[in-house]
Amino acid sequence: MKELAVIFVFFFGITVISFAQKAENKVVCFKSDMDCANCEKTLTENLKFEKGVKDLKVDHITNTIYVEYKDGKNSDEGFVRAIEKSGYKAEKITPDQYKKILEQAAEEGHLHGSEVHKIRK
Amino acid sequence: MLVFSFVGYETKVVHVENLTFLEVVLEPNLEIEEVTVTKKDRGTYLSAMETIHTERIGGAELHKAACCNLAESFETNPSVDVSYSDAVTGAKQIRLLGLDGIYSQLQVENLPDLRGLATTFGLNYIPGPWMESIQVSKGASSVVSGYESIAGQINAEIKKPDSGEKLFLNAYVNEHQKWEFNGNTNLKVYKDMLSTALLVHASGLSNRIDDNGDGFLDDPLTKQFQISNRWKFTNYKGFMTQAGVNILAEDRLGGQVGFEDGMTPTVSNPYGISIKTNRVIGFLKSGIVSKDQRTALAILTNFTGHKTNSFYGLTDYDASESRFYGSIILTRDLDENAIHSLNTGVSFIHDKIDESLYGINLDRVENVPGVFAEYTFKPIENMTLMAGIRADSHNLFGTFITPRMHFRYKLNGHVTFRANAGKGYRTANVITENNYLLASYRQLAWQDKNMFEEAWNYGLSVVQDYTLWGRDLQINTEFFRTDFQSQLIVDRESSSTHVILSPLSGKSYANSMQFDVRYQPVERLDLLLAYRINDTKQTIAGVLKEMPLTSRYKGLINLNYSTNLKKWMFDYTAQFNGGGRIPRPDFDGWQSSVTNSDNLYEFQPYTVMNAQVTKYFRYWSIYLGAENITDFTQPNPIEGAENPFGQSFDATNIWGPVVGRKIYLGVRFQLNYK
Repeated sequence: MKELAVIFVFFFGITVISFAQKAENKVVCFKSDMDCANCEKTLTENLKFEKGVKDLKVDHITNTIYVEYKDGKNSDEGFVRAIEKSGYKAEKITPDQYKKILEQAAEEGHLHGSEVHKIRK
Repeated sequence: MLVFSFVGYETKVVHVENLTFLEVVLEPNLEIEEVTVTKKDRGTYLSAMETIHTERIGGAELHKAACCNLAESFETNPSVDVSYSDAVTGAKQIRLLGLDGIYSQLQVENLPDLRGLATTFGLNYIPGPWMESIQVSKGASSVVSGYESIAGQINAEIKKPDSGEKLFLNAYVNEHQKWEFNGNTNLKVYKDMLSTALLVHASGLSNRIDDNGDGFLDDPLTKQFQISNRWKFTNYKGFMTQAGVNILAEDRLGGQVGFEDGMTPTVSNPYGISIKTNRVIGFLKSGIVSKDQRTALAILTNFTGHKTNSFYGLTDYDASESRFYGSIILTRDLDENAIHSLNTGVSFIHDKIDESLYGINLDRVENVPGVFAEYTFKPIENMTLMAGIRADSHNLFGTFITPRMHFRYKLNGHVTFRANAGKGYRTANVITENNYLLASYRQLAWQDKNMFEEAWNYGLSVVQDYTLWGRDLQINTEFFRTDFQSQLIVDRESSSTHVILSPLSGKSYANSMQFDVRYQPVERLDLLLAYRINDTKQTIAGVLKEMPLTSRYKGLINLNYSTNLKKWMFDYTAQFNGGGRIPRPDFDGWQSSVTNSDNLYEFQPYTVMNAQVTKYFRYWSIYLGAENITDFTQPNPIEGAENPFGQSFDATNIWGPVVGRKIYLGVRFQLNYK
């Protein structure tokens, strides 16, 4: 019985955390200038701990960034600054444009050219 | 007009004017200046590529629990069991394939370590935050590593000086006020070629806890300090060398609550246990690869100096060890496609142990030069056959041959089949590896001070990898058998006055069958289910019996859930341990002297649960967890606790947890190089 109670508490905790994420959020998308998977990783690690971030998709192949954040906790400009501070370009695009780029990439089967990693200051 | 195109080449348009043969050369258009290979840390996984059945435990797995040291890193692991050796010293031992940890070769960075005098407490000597990864391979391993590793091999990789970690700090405290501090820093000394790392560990417990009220400390008071400095040089042209030194000092004080450091061990004072250890290790390893990448030469060496001064009640035990290991390995691909390759080399072990127990000096010097060769045949990517043999000349036990064979075949991209057979040997450290038995009224009695153990190990395993509803599913089934030809038998049941350490006379074997499944039923929720049956028997005093204090089965459930972006991580583990046999003399008189246990010769199945929550920040992470959540402890772990100098005192019949629920809190800080 004690064992069952522990398992229940564990799953209850997970459920609470999962639902806690579904609050009202705002979305901002960017076109960037990443070169490789390392850039993607750097930006992901830097952006995910920006205030209010609830969801984040960084893709170096389509060179896009999708950020979902809690309204009032941060601003679109806040993310522009954070991306630029990491050494990358942050050209704001609409969610529709973001969607189109992804659809186009999916059609092209993610074909992309060379990946050349530049040293960034 | 003809258009020629191909992936990676410039499209070429050719206008054909005459009907004749054409030669068209396409120019490549894809120039890759750098290829970045990224890896995903999958926690623990079974590789489909390796010839030997190996579980790889990555950094992500080590974050699932407190993992204060190597012993605690196996809490979420289905293959390795960790238990207390006794109820007073805090020593922990592992079991692999149902066999004691001494039958697994323990290595640190592929160099033999945590052996000899470090056997009993060695698993506490590798701090968790120092480790980068752990590999657990089952069955006799490669002959290149030596003639040991009867049940398997456990290798701990320490964080490298040239890794991206600039500074790492970790602090931990539990509700018993046990604290730990770890600090690592890496420094680039010359470009990216020469780097150094400094690793520091300090831990302690000064709070006297006796939750079960038996008058004895549940956990001994401890103080441990370790410092390690290591260097790495690489010229990026095929030469690499690493060297380092590690210094450890540890004090343990256990026994009755009233025992103080400095008290003389007499019957008029409380019963006490004191173990003071000083240890130093140095290592050097170098490797050079030829320009054509077909030949490599490696030199591996380490040196260990270890000194222990201890007493268990009225019994003094002092020991010192100095050990040198050296190996030169030549690897050569015999053809361009590496279908045939050969590993050959020589090794040398010098081990000097001086021990003193009951006023008897037990000195031993081992000198073991050896040669080895291992041939690998890999005709296709999906098949590997590895056959190795080594010959070692032991100054005490003569020359012996170690043959080993491993086979891997991957069918249809989903099923990896492995088979292995091999022989293993080891010198039994008759006193050292049984010194925890001194926490008993009974004295140790041994027939030979030097003993050599010998066993065959056979194994079969099938690992299946599928994609089910878009997620990876891994199913592992394995069977291993170890057959001993000679073994040191610890007989705790023939005499009420002595624990008898004698050579095996008859059969001794261990069968281990394991089944485990890894899957992600919900996004980011990793599930591991495992079940293992242990059938370990040995001939004790002429009768084939179950290995005492070993659970007949083990079940494990591990659940790990990370929120989106991995800002939170939840981990839950339940271990279901089967019952087993308790070793006791079975003649009149003895039974009445040990009391308050329902079943004197059998322990019942029990469950242990652990859980942890981790919150990640940009540079920090905080973790809060509980070990042994249901607070299950072995009843009566110290028999005769009320009279520790009397004939019924025994703190060594340990089959379950001796410490109850422990809540802990820890913090990690990590700063990486950009």
